[in-house]
Amino acid sequence: MVELERRGIPTVIFTAKTFVDDAQRTAAHLGLPGLPLAVVPLPFTNQKPEAVHAMAEAAFEQTVAGLTRPVEEPKATERHVADERLTYEGADALAAWAAMNADFLARGWSDGFPLVAPTERAVAAMLEGTTRARGEQVVTLEPGFGIATVEKIAIAAVMAGCSPEHMPLLLAAVRALAEPKMYIRNKAMSTGPHAPLVLVNGPRGRDAGLNSGMCALGPGAPSAKNSVLGRALRLVMMNVGHTYVGVSDMDTIGSPLKYSLCCAENEKESPWEPYHVARGFAREASTVTVHFVYGMCELYDFQSTTPERLVQVFATAAANAAQVGTALWLIGRRADPRSKTEEKEHNTLFLCPEHAQVFARAGWGRTQIQEALYQKARLPFSTLMLTKEPKAMAVAHPELGWLPDHPDLLLPVVEDAGCFDIAVVGAAAGRGAYFYGAGEPVTMLVDE
Amino acid sequence: MNLEILNPQAKTVEFSVKAAPRLRDWQGVTVGLYWNIKAGGDYALDRTEQLLREKFPGVRFKRYTGSVGWLMRHCTAEDADRIASEVHAVVGTTND
Repeated sequence: MVELERRGIPTVIFTAKTFVDDAQRTAAHLGLPGLPLAVVPLPFTNQKPEAVHAMAEAAFEQTVAGLTRPVEEPKATERHVADERLTYEGADALAAWAAMNADFLARGWSDGFPLVAPTERAVAAMLEGTTRARGEQVVTLEPGFGIATVEKIAIAAVMAGCSPEHMPLLLAAVRALAEPKMYIRNKAMSTGPHAPLVLVNGPRGRDAGLNSGMCALGPGAPSAKNSVLGRALRLVMMNVGHTYVGVSDMDTIGSPLKYSLCCAENEKESPWEPYHVARGFAREASTVTVHFVYGMCELYDFQSTTPERLVQVFATAAANAAQVGTALWLIGRRADPRSKTEEKEHNTLFLCPEHAQVFARAGWGRTQIQEALYQKARLPFSTLMLTKEPKAMAVAHPELGWLPDHPDLLLPVVEDAGCFDIAVVGAAAGRGAYFYGAGEPVTMLVDE
Repeated sequence: MNLEILNPQAKTVEFSVKAAPRLRDWQGVTVGLYWNIKAGGDYALDRTEQLLREKFPGVRFKRYTGSVGWLMRHCTAEDADRIASEVHAVVGTTND
């Protein structure tokens, strides 16, 4: 709507009450605070037509006013603090640190857990982990168009508990967030529980002490280096990208995965080439892959000794109609309207070494698993459409107008076999993880 | 005891867009009704069209959705150019 205002067209947008702060903040970020809203009590989703009609009627005066009355800027809601250094007082160091944490919570700068104090000395030590200059702008990070300097990223790293060895990995992850194909604006601001799953490959992950084996996704001491890296990325999203809960992150329920979700691939116990090599990077390279995911499901199977049977089990996790990404290809592709980069909806599988060996012993690689899952993970058209707007399918795929006449036709849950991303993670026993993804993974070279 | 720390919050790139002039009257006006294709938004636009027709007879309407997207259809720059060339005002459902 801001783009239409820019073109001289007055606009007004229906906005549910709960999203008013979000809408105002978004409009302000895009340069037009005060963009007129017609506020309604509830979102229109899950409402019967007559209930939506009633809300539109009640908001009609606002609708007319939005198009006819001069636009006024709302009272400023910006939380930015101009001071680059902040001081906290206390009876002793612990009390001053507690005051800092309380203030960070009040400002919305904290993920809720106690934070390490980003003192000048701690940040300077963190900066030793990169060759980049302190003031260098790495990227601009949406949704808030935050200027991600090396220093601000290092501050987040300190707060999360990272070591200098994490800095190159964190810088790569932040660059991944800003890739046009990531469309971070959508994932950061959604009502869905989008959590950045971070997968590290190559020697830099090992240098940083990342865990790829037992309980690699934590908690506990073996995964401490994983946990703090994932945490640092969330803090970057918040304080650099200005993704703040209730302001620009409108997640309905939230997810514990959003605190931290990071590990390395268990390249040593994988029977296949490392994940990053499968994505076109050199074996000796180090990479960071970020894939936003909605949730995860265990891939438990102690019984199967054949690839076919394992795929049969895994396909039951993939064929989950309640997951938003399932068969989204029926209604189009996630796309940033500015760059028009489109994403297919991918899902990531972490296979445990034992399951990977079942496949490998039978001569299966990733491609065979992907193809078999694509064939097996299917649901009836009518089931897949339970959560989808029929008119969206008509717009995206007018050529599929015949499908409603075949409600029982089994259709794949992803657009193509390549939409299953497979890495090997974990320790002994047949328990993997299936991540329901949001869009495509982005892999960045660790280059500094 | 004082604890001095560095501010973790990044500065932001500032943009500025001037709001469009508002409608002075409804004579000869064509209103665009933009639906991001989320469930229920079309019903709101249906009722709004009805109410505008009753209150401002002669107003015309054009329906739009974005040319890219999935759960939400987004408006590209080309879409915005086209809409801006075809209507005088827009009512949208884009905020859930």
